[in-house]
Amino acid sequence: MKQTPNAQLSTSNVQLSGDASTSNIKNRTSNILRRIVDLIVAGIFIYAGAIKALDPVQFASDIDNYKIFPWPISVALAFYLPWLEIFCGFALIVRLLYRGALSILTMLILTFTLVTIAAKVRGLDITCGCFGHASQNWSFPSHLVTNLAILAALVVLWVSNRSPKSLWGRRSASAS
Amino acid sequence: MFVKFSLVRQAVILAALAILPGTGEAIYFRDKISWRSAILPSELVTVDQARTWGGNVIWVDARPDEEFARDHVSGALSLNEDRWNELLPQFLAVWSPGKQVVVYCSSLSCNASREVARRLRKEAQLSDVFVLEGGWEGWLKKNR
Repeated sequence: MKQTPNAQLSTSNVQLSGDASTSNIKNRTSNILRRIVDLIVAGIFIYAGAIKALDPVQFASDIDNYKIFPWPISVALAFYLPWLEIFCGFALIVRLLYRGALSILTMLILTFTLVTIAAKVRGLDITCGCFGHASQNWSFPSHLVTNLAILAALVVLWVSNRSPKSLWGRRSASAS
Repeated sequence: MFVKFSLVRQAVILAALAILPGTGEAIYFRDKISWRSAILPSELVTVDQARTWGGNVIWVDARPDEEFARDHVSGALSLNEDRWNELLPQFLAVWSPGKQVVVYCSSLSCNASREVARRLRKEAQLSDVFVLEGGWEGWLKKNR
């Protein structure tokens, strides 16, 4: 039996609306997954920052153990870095200054990873201090794997958030 | 171009915001940390000072086992972070209230004595714990 042109049109409309709803579901799922990764990464940095902010004396000592900076710089970083991590973590959660937070956290995790590798190469046997007392007995491989996992999550967020709504959401979205 | 600018601007805002609580915390902790040295001056002791305490001192060697085995301050106990859980009870068995604890490691630049002293204060709740200025090298210089 032949279909009339009108019948064909309605069939293709049904197909189109089916495709649209499938892509809607896909979009929603990927948004949810992206949000989950957002929250996990934010939670990790807020936790790590809070633990270090509570004991800056210990964190200054941990930084000093890497023997990269003079003591006064280690102290300044011990007071500053935990709050930077906390602020960036919250920025990911509320999606304000989102890309700025992502770029800072990516730079931080890259620096931590490089510094850890450099310390290992130089034969320094040190605790990373990344999660305060909780990470005191971490081995070098577990430390490295954790850093790389966080870095991978940040890369996922970079890729999946090419035009997020941020403080300047409209302008940044239109620009990208 | 704008995206890059926006990204940098966002990062700068976040970096600037973090200065505020960081500064507040630095003021709050001003008595608990020294900006000049990793160890507060009140927690440091010279070889001469420690000697005046005579028999009231427990010497703690924070260096690795091999270095302790090679040589150490006479009567010193080994307590390093590698075997902390094993060595701490041995130290506590010797310690008694009123004793001054002097921790040393290899030299002025080593961190082990500082860490062991910190853990003794924090984990074992001891108060009279000092770090030997100059460490083992400083001790050797004074005892040559």
